[in-house]
Amino acid sequence: MNYALWFQLASPEIVLSIAGLLLLLIAAWSSDKSARLVSILTVAAFFGALALSLNFLLADGYAEGADAFYGQYRMDRFAALSKVLIFLSAIACVIVAPKFFARDGMMRAEYPILILFASVGMGLMVSAVDLLTLYIGLELQSLAAYVLASFLRSDDRSAEAGLKYFVLGALASGILLFGMSLLYGFTGTTSFIGIQTAFSDGVSTGALFGVVFVLSGLAFKISAVPFHMWTPDVYEGAPTPVTTFFATAPKVAALALTMRVAIEAFGGQQSVWQQIVIFVAMASILLGGVAAIGQTNIKRLLAYSSINNVGFMLIGLACGTPEGASAMMTYLIIYVAMTLGSFICVLDLNDREGRPVEDIPKLAGLSRTRPGLAAALAVFMFSLAGIPPLFGFWGKFVVFDAAVAAGLIPLAALGIAASVIGAFYYLKVIKVMYFDEPADVIAPSDSTARLALIAVSALFVSPLGYFATLALSPITEDAARALFWAA
Amino acid sequence: MAEYLPILLFLAVALLLSVAFVFLPIGVSRLTGAHKPTVAKLSEYECGFPAFEDSRSQFDVRFYLVAILFIIFDLEAAFLFPWAVTVLDLGWEAWGAMMVFLTILTVGFVYEWKMGALDWE
Amino acid sequence: MIGIEHYLVVSSILFVMGVLGIFLNRKNIIIILMAIELILLAVNINLVAFSVFLGDMVGQVFAMFVLTVAAGEAAIGLAILVIYFRGRGTIAVDDVNQMKG
Repeated sequence: MNYALWFQLASPEIVLSIAGLLLLLIAAWSSDKSARLVSILTVAAFFGALALSLNFLLADGYAEGADAFYGQYRMDRFAALSKVLIFLSAIACVIVAPKFFARDGMMRAEYPILILFASVGMGLMVSAVDLLTLYIGLELQSLAAYVLASFLRSDDRSAEAGLKYFVLGALASGILLFGMSLLYGFTGTTSFIGIQTAFSDGVSTGALFGVVFVLSGLAFKISAVPFHMWTPDVYEGAPTPVTTFFATAPKVAALALTMRVAIEAFGGQQSVWQQIVIFVAMASILLGGVAAIGQTNIKRLLAYSSINNVGFMLIGLACGTPEGASAMMTYLIIYVAMTLGSFICVLDLNDREGRPVEDIPKLAGLSRTRPGLAAALAVFMFSLAGIPPLFGFWGKFVVFDAAVAAGLIPLAALGIAASVIGAFYYLKVIKVMYFDEPADVIAPSDSTARLALIAVSALFVSPLGYFATLALSPITEDAARALFWAA
Repeated sequence: MAEYLPILLFLAVALLLSVAFVFLPIGVSRLTGAHKPTVAKLSEYECGFPAFEDSRSQFDVRFYLVAILFIIFDLEAAFLFPWAVTVLDLGWEAWGAMMVFLTILTVGFVYEWKMGALDWE
Repeated sequence: MIGIEHYLVVSSILFVMGVLGIFLNRKNIIIILMAIELILLAVNINLVAFSVFLGDMVGQVFAMFVLTVAAGEAAIGLAILVIYFRGRGTIAVDDVNQMKG
């Protein structure tokens, strides 16, 4: 037992937990006056955790990863990369929140603290190598997320979003947990490696049910078809900074968790989960593309777009190869930048009284009243659609490339065809912004922090992003290799 | 055929859940749709007298709050029992782990106290 | 003789009842919270039965964690429900429909 090493491996979560507890006390003593101070300190704690994760990602000597706490927790390059993405998106969501909540007088110190605790849960999720850690991490993230969804207490839609998210999220946890209990019963262990060993000589029917239930529960959490029904409602009803958070950090965590479960725990029996993942990927791409067409609320539209993008990312997992996993991580990085950017653009859409505007028809002629914002939103939309000069295309390209290399040519072909359908509804938004008569509802921006974040993400998503591939591809390849080390 | 078993199972689970989600409410309201309320049917039965007051008395929401707080601390205390039985065998590691847990619990308790969740008024 | 399969049957029945309880109930959201507890308790029966059957303690430890998380989940569910009731004045399931599409 090497406690020093264990605490060092888990240092990002430990830093965040201690910061969360201290900030909770500050919030208790000085109530809402300290909301600003707590937000700043939260961002500082996140930067600390980010630095620690980056150290694991870039320093030598962690290539194989190391286990801690009696095989419950692992820090490797895959976990470190996921944590970097999670913490970066959490920082953005803390920075953009005060302006939004201040309008209703609802900027409370609990918001950054809940994001902090949710991030601890997500850190545990991506580092879990045992069903027990997986469950605790997932619940820590989910419980904080339910509260965040209903954070705007004065708004009926926010309360309803929280209620829906809670009921369906709890059902998903129940299904996942039932699957885990079956896996435990029929393999006699809860560790991923143990399950892999038990699966090496065949899967019993009971364990098969366990695998199916676990994958169904995880599909709920990544909002993949056929378990996506909560996504549009929750994304529409939750306060926009919270929606920004839901669409980025928990998605990264849940997708990374799904990858680790599929490749490490169920790795020996790839044929068992591969068909399920292929089905889920195809269904998500198609439904995400088709159902988005009739939407008039931009947050709902982005919810369907995230379902659609999850489908593309799952193609990478369906390959079951290190190339596929690496492609999925690349896509995930680009997805986080695109989604953060587009949701922060939505945050910047306010009318003259400062009320948020979510109706797409009201964006008419945005290119003339707010040319910069319209251009940024257009960049994110084109990128989400995967139109070539932009960086979003690269994500789709590497995923399809890995699928073709793994022999999943029909899946890749379907994905390419579906991305053409998907492009339609993004183009509709751009048409409204650029070619319709100005509705002149949108007021000028009132936040430089928001504009700066939009500019940074737009720059990353723009064709300039291809320069980043030089630095990114060794990192994603390392992460994918770490995932397959145990498998 | 056997290699398609997982996807069949998955589809069955997915189908069942989505059918339950979409069609069951419709079907059930159809089945139980003979819903013709009259004043006599809707009134509570109270020994043949007209009801004195609403039979579903409203609870003060503060009872919920106390119940919520109770259930959390009550169940966290459940960890103390197995720990108390084995702490002498497990040594300082178990002691330290429980102290960390209790510290976190205390921070939560202090928070709810300061926020006034324990005040009845 | 009561074997592991009997426990599995009981827990499966409870699990299905919990899932159906969420979807079939049209009246009251509190009943949904009870159905969620039922699902989690079905899981606990599974875990404890397997734990005894396998002679392995992990299942019982897992059951403890599930119990406490279930308490936290119920607390948060009730809290959200109270907020919802304050805003809308109803907790009937059919009224949870402000957003559609």
